Amino acid sequence: MINSIPRKYLFSKGVDQYFTEVYLAYKFVVRFFKEASRPPFHLREIINQCFEIGVKSLPLITLTGFIIGIVFTQQSRPSLSEFGATSWLPSLVSIAIVRALGALVTALICAGKVGSSIGAELGSMKVTEQIEAMEVSAINPFKYLVVTRVIATTITIPVLGLCCGFVALLGSYLNVHSFESTSIVSFFNNGFSTITFIDIFSSLFKSLAYGFTIGIVGCYKGYHAVKGTRGVGRAANQAVVLAMFLIFIEEVVIVQMANWIRYY
Amino acid sequence: MNEPKNKRPVIVGLFILTGIFFLIGGILIIGNLHSTFSKKISISTVFDNVNGLQPGNNIWFSGVKIGTVKKIEFFGMSQVKVIMNINNESKQYIRKDAKVKISTDGLIGNKILVIYGGTFSSPEIEEGDTLLNEKILSTEDILNTFQQNNLNVLALTKKLAAGEGTIGKLLNNDSIYYNISETIKSLQKASENAQVLLASLSNFSEKMNTKGTLANDLVTDTSVFYSLKTSVLNFQRISDSATVFVNNLKIATDNTKSPVGILLHDEQTGTDLKTTISNLKTSSEKLDKDLEALQHNFLLRRYFNKEAKKNKKQ
Repeated sequence: MINSIPRKYLFSKGVDQYFTEVYLAYKFVVRFFKEASRPPFHLREIINQCFEIGVKSLPLITLTGFIIGIVFTQQSRPSLSEFGATSWLPSLVSIAIVRALGALVTALICAGKVGSSIGAELGSMKVTEQIEAMEVSAINPFKYLVVTRVIATTITIPVLGLCCGFVALLGSYLNVHSFESTSIVSFFNNGFSTITFIDIFSSLFKSLAYGFTIGIVGCYKGYHAVKGTRGVGRAANQAVVLAMFLIFIEEVVIVQMANWIRYY
Repeated sequence: MNEPKNKRPVIVGLFILTGIFFLIGGILIIGNLHSTFSKKISISTVFDNVNGLQPGNNIWFSGVKIGTVKKIEFFGMSQVKVIMNINNESKQYIRKDAKVKISTDGLIGNKILVIYGGTFSSPEIEEGDTLLNEKILSTEDILNTFQQNNLNVLALTKKLAAGEGTIGKLLNNDSIYYNISETIKSLQKASENAQVLLASLSNFSEKMNTKGTLANDLVTDTSVFYSLKTSVLNFQRISDSATVFVNNLKIATDNTKSPVGILLHDEQTGTDLKTTISNLKTSSEKLDKDLEALQHNFLLRRYFNKEAKKNKKQ
C-alpha cells in the first residue's frame, strides 16, 4: 500500500518552510492591524519606544545626513563644473536627498540600529519565556511588545527621515556656500524649485513604509526566535537583512508608483 | 538620579514636532515657489511641435516666472495644445495679442514657455484665451544648418585644394608666390630708399637749422625776408610798368594815324620803306666801290700804305 503513506512535505523541506514563513508573516501583519485597532493602546509604551527608537537615533541620523549632504555635493561638483553648471548643484542635491537619499539612508541606518535591537530584545524575551510569562499575567504580549514598537518605528522613521533630509541640505549648503558663495535663500529657492509635492509625499510615504517594515520585521523575527541564545543572534541578524532587502524592494515599487502619479 | 516623570513624552513630542516643522516648512517653500496656493487662470496655445515640453515646465514673461504648463494634449491632426496656468496677479501684464514661444532655461536646461510682446491697446488675457505662437527653431533645425555649413566648408576646401578661385590660386600657384615675393622685395628696397631719403631730409633739415647758412637765413633771418619782399615788390612794379608800356604800344600800333601805326598798317608806306632801304643798299654798295677806288688813288695811296704797315707791326 505505497499510496497510503502520507507525504512528509508538500514540495520539499526548504520550500515548505519558506511558504510557511510567508504565511506566518502574513498572519503576523494581520494580527498587528487587528491588535492596533483595539484598545488598550499602551500610549506610554509607544512614547517610550519612540524615545528609544527615534530620539536616541537622532544624533546618528543627523550626523550621517550632514556628511551625506557634504559628500554628495562635493562628488557631484566636478561633473557639473565640466559643463559650467555648478549652479545646478542645489537642484541636483535637493532632488537626490528629498526623493531618495533622505528616506533611504535613514531607513537603512535604522534597519541596522533599531531592527537588530528589536529582534534581539524580543528574541531574548521569547527564548527566556518572558513572553509566555506576560500571557500568564493577563497582559497581551503582542499588543504590548509588537504593536507599540511597530507604531513607534512607523512614526519616528519618517520624522528621522525629514530631519536627515534637512540636515543633509544644510551640509550641502555649507559646501556650496564655501565654493560658490551662494546665499541660503538662493540655495533653498534653487533647490526646492525642482521639488514637487509628489516628491515630498512620496518620500514621506516611503518613510512610513520603511518604518513599518523595520518594526514589523524586527518584531516578527524576535517574536518567532527559537533555539536559545543562538536563535536570538540569528533573529537580530535576519531582522536587519530582511528589513534592508524589503526596503530596497519597496524603494523600487514606490518610486515607480510616484512616477506613474507624476506623469499621469 | 530622579528624572521628571514626563521627560520622555516631552522629548518625544518635541522630536515629532521638529519633524512636522520640517514637513510643513518644505510644503510651504514648495507651495510658495510653485505658487500652489495662489489663484490662477488657464490659457492655451497650439504648437506644431512642442520639442519635449512637459507639464510642470515654467512659463516666463519678461524673465519672470508667472506660471506653469498644466497640460499638453494633441489637437487636430498633428498639432499639440498646451494649456498653461498663469498667476492671477500676472495676467494684467499679458495682452491678448501677446505671443508664446518654446525656449530653454539656460543652454542645456529645461524647456520653458516664454510669453512676449503684446500691445497696451489690446485688452489683458482672460480665462480660456488662446495666444498665438511663434515657430521655434528646434535643435534638429540648428544641427541641419550646421550640417549645411559643414558641406559648404567642405566644398570650399575642395576648391581651395584644387587651386580654383582667387584664394585657391593664391595658395597653389607658385608664380603668384614669386610675384608677391618680388613685390615684397621691391617694397623692401623702396623702404630702404625711403630710409635713405629720410636720412637726407634729416641732414637737410639739420643744415637748414645751422645758423649762418643761406637756407637758415631764408627761413629765420627777417632782414633777408624783408629784402626779398622788397625785391618782389620792385619786380611787381616793373611788371606793372611793362604792362602799361605794352598797353600803350598796343594803343599806338592800333592807331593807324600814328607813325608806328602807319609803319605797321599802311602798305604803301611799307612799300616805300622797302624801296628806300633797297636804294640805300644800292647806294651803300656804290659808295663802297667809290671808296675802294679812292684808296688806290695816287693822292691817298701813301696814307693807306702807312696804315697797313702799322697794323702789320702790331
